[in-house]
Amino acid sequence: MSFRIGATVLLDCNRRALQSYSFQTKRILGCIKNVLSFLNDYEIDEIHLIIPLKGRSVDTSKILIGLKDVSISTPLSVGGGINTENLIEITKDPYFERLIFNSAIFDDNEVIKQATLKMGHQAIMASIPFILQENKIKIYHSKMNKFIDVSDKFWKKLNLMCNEIILLDADAEGGKEGFNFKVFQFVNFPIERVLISGGLTKLDIHKAKVMKLAGISLDNVTLHSEFSIKGLR
Amino acid sequence: MLVNIIDVGLGNIASIEHWVDSCQLSSKRVANTSQLTNDPIIIPGVASAGEYMDRLKRCQSGQKIIGICLGFQIMMNSSEEDSGVRCLGLLDGTTKYIKDKNTHNGWEDFKIDTREVKHNVFFPKKSTKKVDGRVYFNHELMVELEEDASTHILSNGITSYAFKHNIFGMQFHPEKSQQTGQDLLKLII
Repeated sequence: MSFRIGATVLLDCNRRALQSYSFQTKRILGCIKNVLSFLNDYEIDEIHLIIPLKGRSVDTSKILIGLKDVSISTPLSVGGGINTENLIEITKDPYFERLIFNSAIFDDNEVIKQATLKMGHQAIMASIPFILQENKIKIYHSKMNKFIDVSDKFWKKLNLMCNEIILLDADAEGGKEGFNFKVFQFVNFPIERVLISGGLTKLDIHKAKVMKLAGISLDNVTLHSEFSIKGLR
Repeated sequence: MLVNIIDVGLGNIASIEHWVDSCQLSSKRVANTSQLTNDPIIIPGVASAGEYMDRLKRCQSGQKIIGICLGFQIMMNSSEEDSGVRCLGLLDGTTKYIKDKNTHNGWEDFKIDTREVKHNVFFPKKSTKKVDGRVYFNHELMVELEEDASTHILSNGITSYAFKHNIFGMQFHPEKSQQTGQDLLKLII
């Protein structure tokens, strides 16, 4: 099976694509449908579409359902604000193959169980933004809007509930400084089910292939610079 | 030509419609067996096709049936999913969980040349005879085929597709396989 070259696209509540830098500064890119259509034409392997709520309580179901008429033939994963209240509505006649969770891993395991029953274990992904501080890993908890310490129990739960994870280097996000591979000293998750994201260079992508990771998820770089997806495969 | 897309309120119908539309074909959602026409039928990844079983078994000779992912899996005699269920039996075989509860997510090479297909598969006469590209997989169950059909087994033991007469079963998602998926639909219909 081939190494996957995916792209992360952030989406705001007005259905505009965003560019994010170092997990903080946001820049509006434009209409989400145009961005998805562009990536589709580029024949990227998959798209990870995420609404970054960062502590806000927003019902994202209308935003996600509103994208139903997006006509793309590229595998799509969606995430951001999916909970037990809106899961049924969001997954009715889905135009996506997979769901991405973050806060639910910490405090709403029920929604992940229901999503697994409805769409299968292969459809469950987790977005794991991280920072490394004082030789420790801290994982971002979206509902709390902060990076927190995690124990072995977290990794066990993640392993049990999620088929794949996207490890996002929050400090490197949006830049070209390189992904911090030291994170793998702290990650207790099967490497063949990990995608990495944030600040990736061509050298990083090569390293990820050698490590036999599942793939990568490119951030801003795919959206505003010349980049050959086929060349990266 | 009109393509019937079975719609029991589950499955990625919108993506299938886009796939059919991108090949300049028309489609209609079929929520009731009485609405089925004699045109090709697509079974997307539906959770239950019980209502359709008899109708699909009695489909007109040559009427094409395309099963995608779970739609392919329910073409078998039975499935391990949900503690075991009886399926359509359009092809002999069983659907089982991938060993050690693994999943299969990603892209695999795909190649077919209608001139080299040994079994009697109802491909229409067209100038284009082959498709060569890559297709997208996303599943946790796999088919163990006991039928003599035109098929391809991947290096991990997973049956990529099984074609026989008017039956076209695909474990991958052609509707999410970009150009290769479109080329394949044009080859079949």
